[in-house]
Amino acid sequence: MSNYTENELAQDLENQEYKFGFVTDIEADTVPIGLNEDIIRLISAKKNEPQWLLDERLKAFAIWQEMTEPEWAHVHYQKPDFQAIAYYSAPKQTKKYESWDDVDPELKETMKKLGISMEEQQRLTGVAVDFVMDSVSVATSFKAKLSELGIIFCSFSEAVQEHPELVQKYMGTVVPSTDNFYAALNSAVFTDGSFCYIPKGVRCPMELSTYFRINAGGTGQFERTLVVADEGAYVSYLEGCTAPQRDENQLHAAVVELIALKDAEIKYSTVQNWYPGDKEGKGGVFNFVTKRGICETNAKISWTQVETGSAVTWKYPSCILKGDHSVGEFYSVAVTNNFQQADTGTKMIHLGKNTKSTIISKGISAGNSQNAYRGLVQIHKGAQNARNFSQCDSLLMTDHCGAHTFPYIECKNPTAKIEHEATTSKIGEDQLFYCMQRGISEEKAISLIVNGYCKEVLNQLPMEFAVEAQKLLAISLEGSVG
Amino acid sequence: METTVSNKLDQFSADLSVSPLAIPQALQHAAQAYLSGKDFPTTKSERFKYTRLGKLASAAFTNAIQLDTAQLNAYCVLNDAYTIFVNNDQIIVPQNLPSGLEITQIAQHPGTFHDASFNDIFGALNVLHAQNGLNITLAKHCTLDKPIQIVQVNSGGKHFYRHHFTFGENAEAAIYVVSKSLADTISFAHTHFQYDIAQSARIRVSKIQDCSAGHFDFNEDRAQQNAQAHFEINTITLDGSFVRNDAAVAVEGQHAQTYLNGAYWLKDEQHVANYTTMDHRVANCESFETYKGVATDRSTAVFNGKVFVRKDAQKTNAYQSNANVLLSENASVNSKPELEIYADDVKCSHGSTTGQLDETALFYLRARGLSAASAKNLLLQAFMEDVLTYIKEEEALAYIHQRIADRFNWNY
Repeated sequence: MSNYTENELAQDLENQEYKFGFVTDIEADTVPIGLNEDIIRLISAKKNEPQWLLDERLKAFAIWQEMTEPEWAHVHYQKPDFQAIAYYSAPKQTKKYESWDDVDPELKETMKKLGISMEEQQRLTGVAVDFVMDSVSVATSFKAKLSELGIIFCSFSEAVQEHPELVQKYMGTVVPSTDNFYAALNSAVFTDGSFCYIPKGVRCPMELSTYFRINAGGTGQFERTLVVADEGAYVSYLEGCTAPQRDENQLHAAVVELIALKDAEIKYSTVQNWYPGDKEGKGGVFNFVTKRGICETNAKISWTQVETGSAVTWKYPSCILKGDHSVGEFYSVAVTNNFQQADTGTKMIHLGKNTKSTIISKGISAGNSQNAYRGLVQIHKGAQNARNFSQCDSLLMTDHCGAHTFPYIECKNPTAKIEHEATTSKIGEDQLFYCMQRGISEEKAISLIVNGYCKEVLNQLPMEFAVEAQKLLAISLEGSVG
Repeated sequence: METTVSNKLDQFSADLSVSPLAIPQALQHAAQAYLSGKDFPTTKSERFKYTRLGKLASAAFTNAIQLDTAQLNAYCVLNDAYTIFVNNDQIIVPQNLPSGLEITQIAQHPGTFHDASFNDIFGALNVLHAQNGLNITLAKHCTLDKPIQIVQVNSGGKHFYRHHFTFGENAEAAIYVVSKSLADTISFAHTHFQYDIAQSARIRVSKIQDCSAGHFDFNEDRAQQNAQAHFEINTITLDGSFVRNDAAVAVEGQHAQTYLNGAYWLKDEQHVANYTTMDHRVANCESFETYKGVATDRSTAVFNGKVFVRKDAQKTNAYQSNANVLLSENASVNSKPELEIYADDVKCSHGSTTGQLDETALFYLRARGLSAASAKNLLLQAFMEDVLTYIKEEEALAYIHQRIADRFNWNY
């Protein structure tokens, strides 16, 4: 593909559009419902993508067609009809904004409702936000400041245009399209996401943050995130999610790839609060995400997640500890209420010598929900002195809900040390009594105890997120005590 | 195209005879339906993720050798017990039993089989092909003065057995199941154990698995435990290249206590898999699981424990632990302790550890003049001993210690 020129590309695109008889409608920017090769070509063309990426997409689509949906997770749901989804939708106004003031006021209003308030964040917190409204990135701030340091932080489609060499080099190296059903689907139809590259030895001076939202009805979101920390670099990345109320189930199948090269460190924090469905379990988002990072020598990847939303969650942020002395961490709080179902956990794959991993998972089930931890700790033959510690605690709030633990522990090296422990219990009556006796209302006491229970995880979150996460926990569990 | 021959399961079951036992039709139909179109499971199947069946599929089973009583006697672990011999299709039942204890062969006195569940193709094959088994009944309020000992000697061929135990209210007994095999024979045995345990009964089942390299040993235990009953299964795996144990206990009455314990010392290419299912269906019960093992050479140990706490099983206390010491670069340990909990007022925990001996403890012992080997042996013995405390019969314990000493040069 090396001698593929821009002109040829332009010609190809022209031909493609003609070939499929598609007339671009600037206002209604949603591709027809359904999924086939033509739709993928269309998405690729719309995004003005190079041929190699289209080839990748088509390859992934072929793989996806051969695959069947996984059924091993401890969740039950009406399987989505993949032909009833529109695979691309962009906000109507797709032109790039020169400055924040140019942004559509209505859009700003939605963001305010969500409590994101970009202006405030820009002014007060110094967080650079790459805001994804449905599938297209609308505004990016602090870009100038970051680019001074050589940090690239942009939407995925921008990266494809501007840094194709980096995208091509790293995309699919951690989560290949053959990985699983949803990763293959994402690789075929992903629309946008974030791309982040921290050059050698650079410590990113601010927390990078992306807010994802699902907006238009009937559109699945298929983000692709790629974070590359070059040798000795450091970055802390935040991802937060909110979604408005919808009646039909919405599908969300993202892929996140982290690459921590020698001596690099990536901290990836997520607060996920998508629409969990109503009290009867109607509606809600399906969250089937593949997140994985790879650590080279001496590198570290730390996943922190607070999961309160989504009707069905299927998510296992993982670390491949490839390099010697590399470190993987996973801190998670998963809250399920009403009829939510979560099957979440992590995989720690120890390949290198002296690798270390820590897993702290706190599950809270309320209402009629089902909350499962599923994890894998795998010590390969060459992982001398590998060390793992896992702790999975579950808290049950009512007698209708369920808490489950499915850890897989596989060890092939005699010098490895693996510890796993799990407990399941409810909020101690003595603890509640103690608080209430001191004049704290039951609701507040529960919130206090739950926050204490999650402290180990919440402490890992960056400041702004920690505050938000605590509020989220309280809201998610409101009136849920049985 | 030899499509019919390529199915390993068809090949394996081609020469099995139809079971003459009175097994309920519904169960037989379920087994037939389960097996139809199936082949030997691969490591892609969750239940056989860590067990490779290639060797079993290609095994050339030797012809069954019939042993006489004198020969069988040599395989006893306990000298003073009600001893039953199981050798191929021959079952020798002891005479002069105390009142309250009845032991018959199922082929002669068919008991009632429950719709016992099976988890894999071998369990289903057992339903269709079991040739014989035991019917053991202990009347209520009976306390046995000495243990029942079932000595199963595998001497070639493929065999399926179904044993059915019925323990009356407040009965008390210790049962030993000793599994041995003849050297230089290649054999397969799948044994289904069904235990019906009435209220307040106190039953201890101890298994001593000590077969030779050519034997494939499958065990399937299904227990129903009633109120206030105490039930134990202690599985001690010594030798045997291929052992799979699948124990499931359903607790049907309150204030019951269940212990599932296991110990395994593995060397060479031994493969030992322990599957347990602890099903708490009612409130106020307790269960304790302790599985411990040492893996050396190229051996593999698998533990998969599942604890269910049903919606109504409030105030359940369930504890599960699996600890492994991995002593060789080529050995591997796979552990999967699971909890599935649907009641809120419970205390459930599980723990799993895999590692090697503590350096500081080794140093402590060596500083006191112990050689590296004996320091290691001492620590390993101590590590395994807490499972062996459940073996109350001195003779059995002495046998286990002796066998470990022989195989690993540990001196007790």
